[in-house]
Amino acid sequence: MKRLTLKAVGMAAAAALALCACAGGGGSAAKPAPSTATETGPVTITFTWWGNDDRASRYKQAIALFNKKYPNITVQTSFADFASYWTARATEAAGRALPDVMQTDMAYLREYTANGHLLDLSPYVGKTINLSGFDKSLVKAGNLDGKQIAIPTSTNTLALFYNPDLLKKTGVTPPTGDYTWADYSKFIAAVSAAGTTTAGGQKVYGGIDYATTFWFFLQWLVQEGKTPFKDDGTFGFKAQDMKDFLTLTADLRKAKQDFPIARNLQLLPKDGFTMNEATSEMSWDNFLAQYVADSGTKNIAMMPVPSGKDGKKDMFYKPSMLLSASANTKHAAAAATLINFLLTEPEVGTIFGTSKGVPADKAQRAAMKLDAGSVDASVVAYEKAVADKVTAAVPIPVKGFGSIEADYKRLGESLSYGKITIDEFVKEWFTDSAVAMQ
Amino acid sequence: MALTEKMTGSGVRSAAPAVAARRRRRAAETRAGYAFLTPWLLGFVLLTAGPMLASLYLSFTSYNLFASPKWVGLANFQLLLQDPRFVQSAKITATYVLLGTPIKLISALAVAILLNNSHRGKGLYRSAFYGPSLIGASVSIAIVWKAMFIDHGIVDQIGQFFGMSPGGWVGNPAMTMPMFILLTVWQFGAPMVIFLAGLKQVPLELYEAASVDGAGPIRKFLKITLPMLSPVLFFNLLLETIHAFQIFASAFIISGGTGGPAGSTLFYTLYLYIRGFQDFRMGYASAMAWVLVLVVGIITLLFFKSSKFWVHYSGETK
Amino acid sequence: MTTAGVSPSSVTQASSALLRRRHHNSKRIKSVLFHTFVVAVLVVVLYPALWMLMSSLKPTADIVGNVSLWPKGASLDNFAKALHGIGGVSFWTFFRNSMILAVGSVVGIALSASVSAYAFARIQFAGRSVWFALMIGSLLLPIHVVIIPQYIIFNNIGLVNTFVPLLLGKFLAAEAFFVFLMVQFMRNLPRELDEAARIDGAGHVRIFTSIMLPLMKPALVTSAIFAFIWSWNDFLGPLLYLKDPSLYSLPIALRLFVDQTSTSDYGAQMAMAVLALIPVLLFFLVFQRYLVEGVATQGLKG
Repeated sequence: MKRLTLKAVGMAAAAALALCACAGGGGSAAKPAPSTATETGPVTITFTWWGNDDRASRYKQAIALFNKKYPNITVQTSFADFASYWTARATEAAGRALPDVMQTDMAYLREYTANGHLLDLSPYVGKTINLSGFDKSLVKAGNLDGKQIAIPTSTNTLALFYNPDLLKKTGVTPPTGDYTWADYSKFIAAVSAAGTTTAGGQKVYGGIDYATTFWFFLQWLVQEGKTPFKDDGTFGFKAQDMKDFLTLTADLRKAKQDFPIARNLQLLPKDGFTMNEATSEMSWDNFLAQYVADSGTKNIAMMPVPSGKDGKKDMFYKPSMLLSASANTKHAAAAATLINFLLTEPEVGTIFGTSKGVPADKAQRAAMKLDAGSVDASVVAYEKAVADKVTAAVPIPVKGFGSIEADYKRLGESLSYGKITIDEFVKEWFTDSAVAMQ
Repeated sequence: MALTEKMTGSGVRSAAPAVAARRRRRAAETRAGYAFLTPWLLGFVLLTAGPMLASLYLSFTSYNLFASPKWVGLANFQLLLQDPRFVQSAKITATYVLLGTPIKLISALAVAILLNNSHRGKGLYRSAFYGPSLIGASVSIAIVWKAMFIDHGIVDQIGQFFGMSPGGWVGNPAMTMPMFILLTVWQFGAPMVIFLAGLKQVPLELYEAASVDGAGPIRKFLKITLPMLSPVLFFNLLLETIHAFQIFASAFIISGGTGGPAGSTLFYTLYLYIRGFQDFRMGYASAMAWVLVLVVGIITLLFFKSSKFWVHYSGETK
Repeated sequence: MTTAGVSPSSVTQASSALLRRRHHNSKRIKSVLFHTFVVAVLVVVLYPALWMLMSSLKPTADIVGNVSLWPKGASLDNFAKALHGIGGVSFWTFFRNSMILAVGSVVGIALSASVSAYAFARIQFAGRSVWFALMIGSLLLPIHVVIIPQYIIFNNIGLVNTFVPLLLGKFLAAEAFFVFLMVQFMRNLPRELDEAARIDGAGHVRIFTSIMLPLMKPALVTSAIFAFIWSWNDFLGPLLYLKDPSLYSLPIALRLFVDQTSTSDYGAQMAMAVLALIPVLLFFLVFQRYLVEGVATQGLKG
C-alpha cells in the first residue's frame, strides 16, 4: 500500500507541476488581427480605474453619457485605490483576465507590454480612435516597441501646494520665485519652529519629508542634468545622487521638524496637509481637487517646485491616466469605442475638468468649465503660469518602476522613523531594484 | 491513536476456505475503506501533498506567473539570508512566538485554576472567557484593536492614567509588538478551556493525600497539578506555537498590508504574502514557505522528543 | 472542604454549630471574593468587545480618546453608514457572499469529514495507519506551503474570482481538524452496533447512514458550528481568490471599507465591524456549550 501512496503522490505532484507550468507561453501565441469594424450587437465590456469616490462619480456620469451614444455597449465598472489597483491587475494579468479597458500608468506600461498583456491600438487610431486633437509627443508616450498600447487622457506637472490661511497663522512667508530645495527645507523648519497649533491642539508643521517620494527625486535628478532612465533600461544616476537628495531633509528629520511620520500613517487615507496640520505639500497638479475636498478649505494655493542649483526648474509634463485595452479582450472594437469616447468626447472634458490632470485632447480642454475661482480654473491657470518652466522631457519609467517606487516609499518610512540610515536606505534600494528590474 | 494492523498468519493450514473467505473479506474491506476515503484522498493528493511538492519545486525557481518557471537552484535561499526584510520578519515572528505563547498559556492556566475551584457559574465564566478566542483572529477585532491602540486613543489614555506613556502604539515601531502580544493573550480562552478539562481529570484524592502529608498549595501545584496536566500542556503548547507562526489577518489589517510602521509588523506570513501575491515572486515566496515548514517541523520534532522527559501520561492506554 | 469531624458531645455541640456557621460565613465570603475577582478579570477581558459595541453607537468625535464607555449621543447613524455599502456594492451582497461560503463549508465538511472519519474509525483497510498518520500530520502543517501552488492551479484553470477554490477543500475533507474530531467521537461509539448490523446483512454504507450518522449528531453539530464560524471569519482565502467587489465576503469588504473611509470615521468602522460579527456572536450565544465542549474534548485525547 505504501507504493500506492508514493505513486499517487507522485502523480499528483506531476499534475500540479504541469498545471503550474502551463501558464507560461500563452502570451506569445499568435492572435488573429482584431476586426476594426464597430460592433452593433449588444456587448458588455469591463472597465476599471483607480481613484476615490469623487472620481468614481465622475466616471459614472461619463459612462451614462457613453450609453446614450452607444446604447448597445454595456460597461461594467469597478475601481480601487492606487496600490490595491495594481495588485489586482497583476492577479488578472497572471490569469490572462485583464478588464477590457483600464486606466494605466507610465510606471507599469513596460512590464505589461513585455508580457503581451496590452492590446495594440494602432489599427484603431485614425479610425475608431481620433487623436487629431492630441499633441504628437503625448501619443508617442504610450507607444512602446512600435505598438500603441496606451493613450494618455491628461497631463500633470508637479506643484507645491500650500495653505495660505494656515500659513498666515504661523507668521512665515511662503517661498517665492527661484527658491531652491534647500530654501524649501528651511521654510519647513521655520514654520515648524513657529510653534503654532490647530484648534484641536495639534502642532502645525511646515510640510512633510519630501525626500521620501520617488518622483520628487526624479524631478531633482532632471534638474541636476541627469537622465534618470537610459534607453537600455539602466539607471542614469548613482547611489551618491540618492544620498545627496535624501540629505536635503536630513536636518529636518533630525530636529523633528518634518510632519511626524507616526501621525501621518495614522491619518491615512488623509495626511498632515489635508488635515490642515501641515502648511505645504508637493504633488501632481491635478491633486488640487482632492486637496480642496479633503481639507475642507477652498483656499489652497499652488506654486512651481523648487529650482535646481542653476536656478532652473526643468519641470516636465507627465502623461497620466492612460487608457489601455487588454490583449485578451473579446470585444476589441467596443473597447476602442469606449477609449475614444473617454479621450475625445468634449463633454467628458467638462465632467472631469482637471481632476485627472489637464486633458490631452484640445476639444476637451476647451470644453472644461472654467468658472472663476473653481478648482479647474486654478489648475489651468497654474499650468499656464508655469508653461515656460516646463522645459524638460518626462523620465520614461523602466520595467519594474512600480516596484522600485514602492520600495523607495517603504524605505523612506523606515528612514523617517530613524530605523535606518541614509547609507542603508540607498544600499537596500539599489539591491532591491536590481532584483525588481529582472 | 493509530492502530497497526497485523494479520498474524495462523499456523493451521486446515481451514483453507476460511482463509480464502477472510482474504475476500479483507479485500472487500479495503475496497470499502478506500471508497469512503475517496474525498479525503482526493483532497490530500490534490490540495495538500501535490501542492507541497510543487511548492518545493517552485522554491528552486524564479516564477512570476506570466512566464514559465525558470530554474535558479539555491539562489532563492541565498537571497533569503541576505534579505534584510526576511531577517526582520523572522525576528519579529520569533519574538511573537517566544513571548506571546508562554504568556498566553500562563494566563490560560492561571484562570483555569481559578475557575476550577468554583462550582457556581463555572460554565458561564468558561464560555465568557472563551468568547474572545472565537473572534480574536477576525478582521473585525483587528480593526477594533487598531482603533483602540492609536496614538491618543483609549489605551493610550488609560495607560497615561496609570503613568505609562509609551508615546503611542500603532504609530510607534517599538510598541506594535506589545500590541500584538496583547491581542494573542486576549484569546487565552481556548487553551483555558482545554486546561479546565484537564484539571477536571486530576483525581481529588491526590490533593487530599498531599494535604495530609502537609503539602502547601505551591507544592501541590508543582508536584500534582503540573505533572497531571502535562499531556494537556503539551497539546496546548504545540498547537499554540504552531498557530502563532501563522498569524496573518490581524497583521495584515493593522498594518494595512504593509508590515509597517517601519516593518515592525512584518510577520513572516505577511512578508510571504507580499512577496508571493503582491510582487508575484512566487519562487521566492515558496522558498520562504518551505523554510517555515522546516522550522515548524523541527520545533514539532523537538517537542515530541522532549515530551518523553516531562509529559506523564496517566497510564491509560488508548 | 468538608467540615472537620467533631465528636458530637453535648458540650461541644454548641461550639461545633458555631464553627459550622463561621465556616459557612467564611465560605460565603470566599465565594463573594472569588466571584468579584473573576468578574473583574472578565470585565478587563471583555472590555475590547464592549468598547467595540459602545463605539459603534457613538458619533466618531466621541470615540477617540474618550475613556467613558457610555455613549452620550447614542445613535444608529454609524450603522446606517455601514449598511450603505462600499463602491456601489450593498452590505447585503457581502453578507450573502459570506453566507454562501459559510453554509457551503458546513455542508461540505459535514459530508466529507464524516465519510472520511468513518473509514478511519470503523473500516479495517490496508494502509489505514499510513493515511491516518498523514492526516494528523496535515493538522500541524503550515498552510502557507500549499497556498501558492493551489493558487497557481486555480489560476490556470480559470477559477480565480469564483467561490470554487474556497469551497472545494471543504468538500474534500481538506481540514483535518474536523476529520480528527469525528474520528475521536466515533471511537467512543460501541462497536456492537456495527456488528449487530453486519449480522443483519448491512454493508458499510448502510451502517454509516443508518447507524453512525444519527449517533454522530453532537459531533456534526459541533463541526458545523466551528466550520461556519471559521469560514465566516476567513480572510486569507477570500483575499487571494475574490477579486470582484461584488463577490467579496464580509472580512474583505470590511478591509475595503477601512481603506477607503477617512480615519476620522471610526464610528462607521466600528459599526461595520459589529455587523460583520453578528452571526458569529449569535452562534456563540446559542451554541456556546457545544463549542466549549468541542474544544475541551480536543485536548483530552491528545
